[in-house]
Amino acid sequence: MRKILLSFLLAVPVLGFSQSFQVNLQGHKQTAMGGAGAGLALDEAAVFFNPGAVSFLKKNGVQAGVNGIWLKTAFNETGSSITEYNKTKVPTPAAAYAVLGSPENRLRFGIGVYTPFGGAMHWKEDWTGKFTVTSLDLHAIYIQPTLSLKITDEIGIGGGLVYALGKVDLKRAVPYTSNGVQTTAQLKGDSKDFGWNAGIFIKTISGVSVGVTHRSQVTAKVENGDAIFSNAPSSVQPLLPTTFNATLPLPATSTLGFGFYPSEKTTIALDVNWVWWHAYKDLTFYYNNGTSTPSARNYHDAATFRVGIQNETTSFLTLRAGAAYALSPVGKGYVTPEVPDANRILLSAGIGLKPSERLGVDFSFLYENLKSRTETNIESGLSGTFKTVAYIPGVALSYKF
Amino acid sequence: MKSIYFYKSALALAVLGLASCKPSIDTITPSKGTADFTRYIALGNSLTAGFSDGGLYLEGQQNSFPEMIAAQMKAVGGGSFATPFFPADKANGTGYLKLTALTNGVPTIGKETMNLAIRGQVGAVTLYTKYTGEMNNYGVPGIKLIHARFPKYADFNGLYERLLPGEYGTNPTTYLDFATAKPWTFFSNWLGNNDILGYAAAGATGEAPTDKALFTNEYNAVINKLTSTGAKGVVGTIPNVTVTAYFRTVTLKTLLAAVNATPAGASVKDIYIQPGIGPARPATADDLFTLPLSSDGVIGKGQIPYGLHPLNPVESKYVLDKAEVVVVNDYINTYNNTIKSVANAKGLAVMDAYTVLNEYGAGKHVNGIPVSGAFIQGNLFSLDGIHLTPLGYAITANAFIAAINAKYGSSIPIVDVTKYRGVKFP
Repeated sequence: MRKILLSFLLAVPVLGFSQSFQVNLQGHKQTAMGGAGAGLALDEAAVFFNPGAVSFLKKNGVQAGVNGIWLKTAFNETGSSITEYNKTKVPTPAAAYAVLGSPENRLRFGIGVYTPFGGAMHWKEDWTGKFTVTSLDLHAIYIQPTLSLKITDEIGIGGGLVYALGKVDLKRAVPYTSNGVQTTAQLKGDSKDFGWNAGIFIKTISGVSVGVTHRSQVTAKVENGDAIFSNAPSSVQPLLPTTFNATLPLPATSTLGFGFYPSEKTTIALDVNWVWWHAYKDLTFYYNNGTSTPSARNYHDAATFRVGIQNETTSFLTLRAGAAYALSPVGKGYVTPEVPDANRILLSAGIGLKPSERLGVDFSFLYENLKSRTETNIESGLSGTFKTVAYIPGVALSYKF
Repeated sequence: MKSIYFYKSALALAVLGLASCKPSIDTITPSKGTADFTRYIALGNSLTAGFSDGGLYLEGQQNSFPEMIAAQMKAVGGGSFATPFFPADKANGTGYLKLTALTNGVPTIGKETMNLAIRGQVGAVTLYTKYTGEMNNYGVPGIKLIHARFPKYADFNGLYERLLPGEYGTNPTTYLDFATAKPWTFFSNWLGNNDILGYAAAGATGEAPTDKALFTNEYNAVINKLTSTGAKGVVGTIPNVTVTAYFRTVTLKTLLAAVNATPAGASVKDIYIQPGIGPARPATADDLFTLPLSSDGVIGKGQIPYGLHPLNPVESKYVLDKAEVVVVNDYINTYNNTIKSVANAKGLAVMDAYTVLNEYGAGKHVNGIPVSGAFIQGNLFSLDGIHLTPLGYAITANAFIAAINAKYGSSIPIVDVTKYRGVKFP
């Protein structure tokens, strides 16, 4: 059982998908609508998008969905004629939600399991940047039990406690060889930390709905993670550590969202996210041999602008589309190959199908295009151009009761 | 039925989307610019030959900077490039230094003596297995600029003699004539280091530096010959030998620490040196000690402890004292001014090795690899403390490529430095 669970978790890591290593694939209707939804009471994913809107959901329900992320990054070292590509690994982040309680009651319950942060970047073992990173698998799965209270017919508030399970697995080459074989280091560990998610949902007299939410920072602490060195020369081995401690802030996100309803069948969502990335100042590994490797990150806060539309075309079919623009929190000189972040455009589309009154199937497709970025990392000296695109299809099943 | 159709088409759309191509980056368009790399010849000393770890051996030859840049030149019309490699069964060439142990950070360095390419000995000159075949890399360890036009130089340098036809003592061909016997379209010239290195490395004892005016004269003569057929080229300046690991590993501080750690030497406060001029005196932080002072293990030995008493000071051959450092730097600066002005007059590219090695020696990350002038751990200098590791040569190769591209508008792609090693650890 543990093994199965473990293998499931290992399959989960995903590349950051909205900004840096933040992931925004928590609901398939919302994903298809440019990732907007804080100002809507759309479905069970409101547990994530706005706990205050959960009490406004017309029905109880459960949903589970999964995405596949085809991430394609190219790197061209400055002055080189060679373009290198990351390896194709398809992480499949999943999310599941349940909303319970009587829809007539003011108080409703929800639970969500989702992955708001992650990264999966795998380069070839002998690529140009191998001494900075060869692979990074990182994810944080949040488990969030939630309460939502409809204070009046117009105003709902909600909040949930977040239990965050983090996992990091970083590999890179170390500049030694043993009998001609490259020495490599692997740092892996996990973390268990707490946070919270809260929101307010308001239906205004004009018909526009408004959502304000805040997901707290979670400070992921890895203690006694494994530092594993392979093929180290025997003279170097006694100097190498075996464990490490590290802290990675998973930043807070504040969102202001609006819902517009031009017709009974049409919904437009508008969101602005503000991600408090400034907390990510450095990534320092403290080793048990008394050494540490501080690495400055100096991220700055960054916003994402999202717009989406859905149209219930027939009782069977709903069409969705959206777009977003995400500003990168990574400043000049701090771009690293494990998260080659840049400002990005997101385009999305989706269809929702209702084979029956209770059953729903939602498909989403998200395309992301990161601006090409030419940089010299101030720490590693790695200089070159990164270009990334991502294709992210997904599907979710929901059942209302 | 209808719903199945929808699922299928959605799946098909998704698959179509995923089949979309990878992102593309506009990389440099290969161009030779105004240069012609059809036949590239490399003139120089040990740094051109690929000398490393105190010896010339096959792995070092394969990782010489001319081999690296010639491989990159192929993208812009460069032709084949041959280095006078030692044969595989004599791959260890002259022999070389090996790190055999590293205990608590203290290295033990041994010597490779198997599979050498030695064919004989005439007086002080060791003779090596002859090389016959095509040649583009004419790097000869030990050669000075003033040897380039010196007849019978082969009688004094076995690593040059091995390249020439005929038995020892029968071939008076000068180095410059030999290297320019066949037409060439591009050259690199990195001669001049040994005109000062021998003086500096022996603590300013032994051979004198090449006279400055003579250096200018010879440099002009060599460059005039190399440009006489219209070929373009690149020249290298002379690195600052006083910042190499050879002079920066054994210091007053490390010597005192080692002495103080022994019971008898706990109270020792001074290391006495014999400077070039004047009586023995206590060493200061501005006096540089050579690497062999440590490996020879002489400190504290004898009735009057060596180096710890004015009557038995560290010999001058182990010390480049403060005044001698000034002399060495003056020669290097003068030589480099000559190199740069001659190159500028002829419109040649200049790889400023002096600046480049100062920069990397001071400590820098290269594609995530920490590089510095530190002995063994610095990845830049090989076990002799002066010559470079393959990684060091790769950094040099990229500096040459940058200089060539900047001068001639060419776009020779750079070398991937991460493919080359630093010091080999046991």
